[in-house]
Amino acid sequence: MHKVFRLAKREYLAAVKTKGFIIMLILMPVLMGGSAIAMYLFRGQVDTKDKRVAVLDHSRIVTDMLLKAVKERNAASVYEKETGKKIQPAYILEVLEPDTMDPQAQRLELSNRIRRGELHAFLEIGPNVLRPKGEQDAFRMKYHATNAAVNNIRNWLNNTINPYLRRIRLEDAGVDISQADEIMTWIAVEAMGLISVDEETGEIQEARRTSEAEAFIIPAVLFFLMFMMVMMGAMPLLNSTMEEKTQRIAEVLLGCMKPHEFMGGKVLGGLGVSMTGAAFYVIGGIFFLGRIGLTDFVPFHMIPWFFSFLVLEIIMLGSLLAALGSACNDPKDAQNLTFPGMFPVFFPMFIFMPILMEPNSTLATWLSLFPLFTPMLMLLRKAAPVGIPAWQPWVGLIGVMIFTGIVVWVGGRIFRVGILMQGGPPKFSNLFRWAIRG
Amino acid sequence: MNVVEIENITKTFGSVTAVDNLSLNVPKGCIYGFIGPNGSGKTTTLRMIMNIFYPDSGIIRTFGEETYGTTSARIGYLPEERGMYKKMKVRDLLQFYGELKSGQKVNKDVDYWLDRLDLSEWANKKIETLSKGMGQKVQFIATIVSKPELIILDEPFTGLDPVNVEAIKNAVLDLRSQGATVIFSTHDMNVAEKMCDFIFMIFKGQKVLDGTMVSIQDKYGNDTLRVRTEGGISALQNLDGIEKITDFGQLQELRLHTDDDHQKILSEIMSRTRVYSFELSKPTLYDIFLRIAGPEAKEDADA
Repeated sequence: MHKVFRLAKREYLAAVKTKGFIIMLILMPVLMGGSAIAMYLFRGQVDTKDKRVAVLDHSRIVTDMLLKAVKERNAASVYEKETGKKIQPAYILEVLEPDTMDPQAQRLELSNRIRRGELHAFLEIGPNVLRPKGEQDAFRMKYHATNAAVNNIRNWLNNTINPYLRRIRLEDAGVDISQADEIMTWIAVEAMGLISVDEETGEIQEARRTSEAEAFIIPAVLFFLMFMMVMMGAMPLLNSTMEEKTQRIAEVLLGCMKPHEFMGGKVLGGLGVSMTGAAFYVIGGIFFLGRIGLTDFVPFHMIPWFFSFLVLEIIMLGSLLAALGSACNDPKDAQNLTFPGMFPVFFPMFIFMPILMEPNSTLATWLSLFPLFTPMLMLLRKAAPVGIPAWQPWVGLIGVMIFTGIVVWVGGRIFRVGILMQGGPPKFSNLFRWAIRG
Repeated sequence: MNVVEIENITKTFGSVTAVDNLSLNVPKGCIYGFIGPNGSGKTTTLRMIMNIFYPDSGIIRTFGEETYGTTSARIGYLPEERGMYKKMKVRDLLQFYGELKSGQKVNKDVDYWLDRLDLSEWANKKIETLSKGMGQKVQFIATIVSKPELIILDEPFTGLDPVNVEAIKNAVLDLRSQGATVIFSTHDMNVAEKMCDFIFMIFKGQKVLDGTMVSIQDKYGNDTLRVRTEGGISALQNLDGIEKITDFGQLQELRLHTDDDHQKILSEIMSRTRVYSFELSKPTLYDIFLRIAGPEAKEDADA
């Protein structure tokens, strides 16, 4: 066994003692959460250039309110009160008389003004917006701009015009306008956990309010962390085995140790790399959440499951990838085998959202009990707040243990033949033959 | 006692028979030279002794035991093509290979061999910075640093300059004098002839020579005349009783028909030209190699 550990130590140190590993350790979460961080960093980066919007109000009841609302908005939001610094664009409305004779010509002219940069957008309010009945075109509000779909002004117009129209409709219906706000109040249905009993005091505890963090972020973080650890610990085995084969290091090592010890050492080294990365992120995560007072959000009950499934995943995929690497003769061969080799982690990535939304669906249950996908999918289901039957993670764990044993055995047989086989491309028929005959 | 005993092993790769019904015994404490043309089965035989390949049939015993499926810490192996981690430092690599083999720290031995083979200055350099010859020496140290009892060297002198060939040769002889058994394959007949206690030649997977240098030469008898004459090769054409003439420029080697009288041939040469030197000897290993595996052997086989 000392040979396996000695090789594992070399593999581990060769991976961990590089600048690349440390940089990757730090950069990986940055890359994974890149868009969220970018949004946070660039949140203050607003185009403060004034926005001129033409308004064609066929209803003739919205314009006055809009002019007043724009004035109030510009006074309140454009400049920062303390510093006087401009932080938002001012909206400037240009009210135009709708051309009833040739409306298309007027729309084209306004569009051309937008193209020339004289206008930011134009809004056309249908004549029947207050009474939205009859022909649909008569009660539409159309906002024309170069990028109308993603546009803050459109949102502002939406949120300004609609409440105003509702109030008028309520007033017309004889409702006391002073109660309008109460009538319009929207009360959200809150997501709550289950009532439980405190094990120490025996008292019934209030249900905790569940949040999106629990429903989505925690399963997603655990799921993607496992994916990252596979990329860090198991994935490199494909190329490193191929390189050791082509550089004839394999033959020297086989003069020192048996093929299955050789493969075992490599997989164990990869496992060490993954465990180091996982420990770094898990301990770092707990520490960070503790510092910002969010220790409640740490899913402590999931940590043993995470590490159990991670260990099995790395051993299973590491053996598979080392066996595939042993059949390769050049980087191109290895590249061709990357996707089939990584399919057990890519596939769960593709179906991540449906499984998370419905963790107890029949498909989710069966897929998570299929050993190749068990570590990632069972972890995801187990971490989801809905809860899954208690037996399933255990059955999954036992299934993946047995399957990992088979993969290691088959991988070892392929590895033993493949590592010394030169020339032939890594055909699946060959791999199958080597696995059967050894 | 035999360190290696090979009994009737055969190894095929697809339709090619790499080693065909081969038997061989390597006594303890000797230097055994494996010779043979490229692709004749030398490396396959060595790999089978190492248990890297398994024979299709037959038995291999090392140290009296069948070691099917295992590798022994008592055997050191230098493969034909060098295999070293390019990014590792020389000393780290040697310690790694030594510990992997023996399970013990080998730091002192590493330092001793680095010093002996003039590599101390390179101990902390990465493997990728070494020249081919230096890499070869590092690989040699990696093979012997764990003090194996049986040392298997596949082409150990390839890529070495004469100074380093001497250094490795002396190291091998020292290891033998300390009790190690050495098997090495080589294309350098001169080295094999001088160093080896036993020589084994494999050709097309079959054993064609096996024994001491003297016993091999005895099989061919005193059939070689080496002459230096004023007339050179032109004066030696069409002599009776000569099977083959090999011209080395300043010296010609004549192979005699077995029953012919060399005195008669000498008289014939003297009648044609002035003779500076004349030597009746046994064929060299180089010559024997060519007789078995060279073009003339192919012509004989075709005929």
